[in-house]
Amino acid sequence: MTAGVATPVALGTDSPPRRRARRREALAGWAFLSPALVLFLVFIAGPLAFAIFLSVHSWDLLTPREYVGLENFRRLFSDPLLPKALLNTFLFSLASVVTHVFGGLLLALAVNRPMNRFVSYFTRSAVFFPYLLSWAAVALLWKYVLDPTFGLVAYYLDKIGIDAPNWFVDPAWSLPAIIGIDFWYTIGFTFVIMLAGLQTVPSELVEAARTDGANRWQVFWHVTVPMMSPVLFFAVIITFIGAFQIFDPIQIITGGGPDDATMTIVMFLYQTGFQAFQIGYASAIAILVFVVIMAVTGLQFLVARKWVYER
Amino acid sequence: MRMTCEDLTSTGRDNGALSRRRLLQLMGAAATVPVLGSVAGCESPGSTSGGGGGGGGGGGDNLTFVYRGDANQQEAFNKLFAEFNKVEPDIKLRAQGIAADTWGDFSNTVATRIAGGQVPDIIQIATEGQRIFASKDLLEPLEPYMERDQDVVDDYFADIDPNLVEWNTKYASHDGKTYYIPGGYNTVCFWYNTETWAAAGATPPAPDWTWDDFLVAAEQLKAAGVFILPIGSDPFTAIMPWMLTNGGSPLDEDWATPTFDTPQSIESLQFCRDLIANGYAPEPGGAFDAGEALSKGTLAAIAGGRWPVIDMRRLELVDKMAIVPMPQKTGPGSPVGWDAWPITKASEKKDAAWTFIKFMMSKEASEYYASIGGTIVPARLSVANSPAFTDNAPEGTTALSEAISYATPVPSPDRGAEVQTAMINAWDKALSGNESPEAALAQANEELAGLL
Repeated sequence: MTAGVATPVALGTDSPPRRRARRREALAGWAFLSPALVLFLVFIAGPLAFAIFLSVHSWDLLTPREYVGLENFRRLFSDPLLPKALLNTFLFSLASVVTHVFGGLLLALAVNRPMNRFVSYFTRSAVFFPYLLSWAAVALLWKYVLDPTFGLVAYYLDKIGIDAPNWFVDPAWSLPAIIGIDFWYTIGFTFVIMLAGLQTVPSELVEAARTDGANRWQVFWHVTVPMMSPVLFFAVIITFIGAFQIFDPIQIITGGGPDDATMTIVMFLYQTGFQAFQIGYASAIAILVFVVIMAVTGLQFLVARKWVYER
Repeated sequence: MRMTCEDLTSTGRDNGALSRRRLLQLMGAAATVPVLGSVAGCESPGSTSGGGGGGGGGGGDNLTFVYRGDANQQEAFNKLFAEFNKVEPDIKLRAQGIAADTWGDFSNTVATRIAGGQVPDIIQIATEGQRIFASKDLLEPLEPYMERDQDVVDDYFADIDPNLVEWNTKYASHDGKTYYIPGGYNTVCFWYNTETWAAAGATPPAPDWTWDDFLVAAEQLKAAGVFILPIGSDPFTAIMPWMLTNGGSPLDEDWATPTFDTPQSIESLQFCRDLIANGYAPEPGGAFDAGEALSKGTLAAIAGGRWPVIDMRRLELVDKMAIVPMPQKTGPGSPVGWDAWPITKASEKKDAAWTFIKFMMSKEASEYYASIGGTIVPARLSVANSPAFTDNAPEGTTALSEAISYATPVPSPDRGAEVQTAMINAWDKALSGNESPEAALAQANEELAGLL
């Protein structure tokens, strides 16, 4: 290799070889992007666009679509089931966010300390394990566990003189029961996120705080929580979005009952679309779900400016 | 812009050098294929051939037949189809079993497939979906085919219950034309474990036993630590049998007016609620496994049609079980639902489809299907009363076919799925004790009136 003299290139003009290199680079970039882009277009953008299109039509899957303008939305906002479904969904989401964030953080704090390596790995695996199962298996398992006649919970409550409620039949207990099952099933995911977040808190900050005389609570509140705030924010967003779309356990266990006590917005959507064959109306509900999730997420980003610490 | 099928296939033939713009065009086209293809097919359903879409059977050269069946039922059906191919080797039959939990779910799955452009040539449709599929102009009137093979049709109709022939046009057609050939059916009777019954010292139920007889047996079984019967909210096996044996019914005969809150209906629901409250039946809402409980002797009976025979054989309970009509308050009662075979209007192989339906009407096919474990009562009376149906089945199996003489078709108006949901919700509310039968049924009746 010989040393050459660099050729000066005027700003804003590219030599043909450089343009070719840039094109190749761009093409390579598109090629790398394409799998994700195709998946996005096929499974997210495409269906969303089609749902918007369908939401202004009346369609029963079997006969031609009919344009109805905003009629589906007018009907939706006067449907007596909508407030119930939204209330149930928000209650479930709120409970899910609160229990998962606090529960996940507490579990992570409990595990993130010096301990026997075997115990540490076993605990982490045990907490995360339910998340590896399918919702169908988990739902059926809990139907057995909470069976009013033969269930484990009823058996042990009876031993201590407590009459177990009929969890999935009593409107007062069915939603809390689903919240509990969801917590057992998905807490492992939040736990892993929290544990990863805890391990990114710089130890020198913790040591400095302790040197300054901070007790455990002060270290947690003034060092750990601020440093963890981006992770907490991520957990809140992800948990809310997932919870707002809760469907599987409700479809398998309660079907939205009893007396619509577990009727969530996605369950409402499913029943409208695939039991009543009102695809246009169901698409309007889907658009509402999309708008609500987007609005709440946007609101969370706004509020996050006040409490999330950006390093 | 709407892309045609030709446009989509042509993209795969372009093998020139790719510019970025061309690459993006291809990616866009590739992304659009499944969206349009899966959701709308190449044509909107109903836009051609009166609602068939361009599927033409969706099976290429094959004759496609979609039916409801789980893994066990699919095995039996496949044997039947193999028999058909022995008789008609030139017709390539492509049978697709859908393992749906209910006929409603099955109809929904088929409708979704049709919306996606997969239109089968023949669909097995139960009572719940027959009127709605016919009214959507998806099916071919069968009169020309029936006239062509009048002797075959006459032979078949002469051997099936006249009720079934009447209902086939009264309920399954919206305009008086014949769109279906009725297949087998299911009624609901009382399957009880004779050993469990005897061990509790209960008198075996007679064919005309009453609700009072039932309560006496329930008390004896309870004393022995046995539930008499699970009480649920399934319209076919739990709601209708109790209403019909008490002179009630969810809807009137024309499926135009709800009769869900009549005194007879309320009394039926109260009776069921009391069975649970008195500890004769397990609490609803859990994971009670009736099959396991029957084999363990902790449950004495179930309500069902022909389909439990598969589980009874698997559990080796056939010889221990016996079948009688449901206990009655004012008279015998049972719901009935039947499956039927139409030819879709979009089918390009209608003659082959009719040939297959003729095969299904034959006595040989009916006998063969009954003998290999069919889960329905054969429509042909001669087969339903023959060893092909009664062998390897509980004593009293003919009660299932006899029940069609007093049975009531399961209500299946256009919004049948919603009607059933309303019925289930009301029944559940009262069974759990969350609401009184009067209030639950009155509220549901109002809802049903809106749906009808």
